[in-house]
Amino acid sequence: MKTDKWSSYPTRHAMRALGILVFTYVILIFALPANSQVTRQYHLSGLEYHVLLFAVVLPSLAVWFTAFYSYSKLYQYARSIPKAPEGSDFKRLADGCTWLAWSLPAPAIISLLLFAVANTHQGFRGTAIIVVNYVSLLMPLIGFSLIGGAARSLVGRAKVHFKPSSIRAVVLFFVTVGVLYCYLSFRHLDLGSLGTTHNPYHLPVWLAVLTIIIPYLYAWFVGLLAAYEITVYSKQVRGLLYRQPLQMLVGGLVMVVVSSIVLEYINAVEPRVGHLVLNLKLLLTLAFRIAGGLGFALIAVGARRLKKIEEV
Amino acid sequence: MPASNSTSLYDQLVRVTHVYLGPAADRFIARQVQNHLNKPPDQLSKEDLRRLIDWIQVAVSLLTEDSEIVEEYAAQLSKLAQSDGTSKKSR
Repeated sequence: MKTDKWSSYPTRHAMRALGILVFTYVILIFALPANSQVTRQYHLSGLEYHVLLFAVVLPSLAVWFTAFYSYSKLYQYARSIPKAPEGSDFKRLADGCTWLAWSLPAPAIISLLLFAVANTHQGFRGTAIIVVNYVSLLMPLIGFSLIGGAARSLVGRAKVHFKPSSIRAVVLFFVTVGVLYCYLSFRHLDLGSLGTTHNPYHLPVWLAVLTIIIPYLYAWFVGLLAAYEITVYSKQVRGLLYRQPLQMLVGGLVMVVVSSIVLEYINAVEPRVGHLVLNLKLLLTLAFRIAGGLGFALIAVGARRLKKIEEV
Repeated sequence: MPASNSTSLYDQLVRVTHVYLGPAADRFIARQVQNHLNKPPDQLSKEDLRRLIDWIQVAVSLLTEDSEIVEEYAAQLSKLAQSDGTSKKSR
């Protein structure tokens, strides 16, 4: 009985945290004043605005649930193999997924709060955008770094062989993604005056490049490399019945990493404005958020099946 | 898989299981021996093997619906039961 409690602790803990976050978020959606710009633009009453906002975030809430559930399952699996050499790697993988899961509600709640203040105090808008941009950057950066460390350790332990051609393909893909991101980001920056803050980041150009664009590129490189390494590991590791759930877990991880990258890409093309806009960006954001949610679901199923191997 | 005198019965079981359960093989066999035969893995003897294979078959059936894999795995384990000269070393 004590063992059951011990193994279910991560799920109870994650669900309790999620419950608090969802409750806070929903309360804020209905309690904070409606954005006058949005209500004017779409001819909405205050109540209609709140209901619309709630309807728009509903899929995201489902994704949050999947994300929190999946990292808790990954922790449960890591806890079921405490003495195994790969146990610490799965623990680190779970840590990384935890940061990625928390990177969904944390910026959402912070932006809801800060932009509500910015609606009444226009001078605060820049600060709100800066804070939301840094929070949105830092959490996945930490998550990708942890997942990258875990992937490298798993690969090193299993003595996995990489094909030079596939490494070249990863590098080529990253260079393409990186150059395109720089092009899309720089379109919004006045490169003729590096000190100006008249850009969507509300930062001097040099600071935006150093503290937003470069860290994003680094995070994506670490994320893509981890996705690649862990995919190769899951294909080469021995164990017919072990490989199936592991590949499921890894497939989910790749989906989460890629969807996270695409979501930031979308923000580069169409930077945050601080209020609800019903456009193609919102539709694409929801689509890739749901794709990330499916990735988290795959992680959860994979982790559960791996744990079952340790139970029978 | 040829039986080697320098390898214990337990190690041979793990080696066969590694093909199916990878890094979880060692833990899986140790658990089956402890839970179903109620003895430490290093005391596994050839006489225990038939009963252990039955339990392993049940356990693996819970992990996959592919009966071919279960039967193939059981057949590999049964080969160990038929081979000789290994149980003494396992004690």
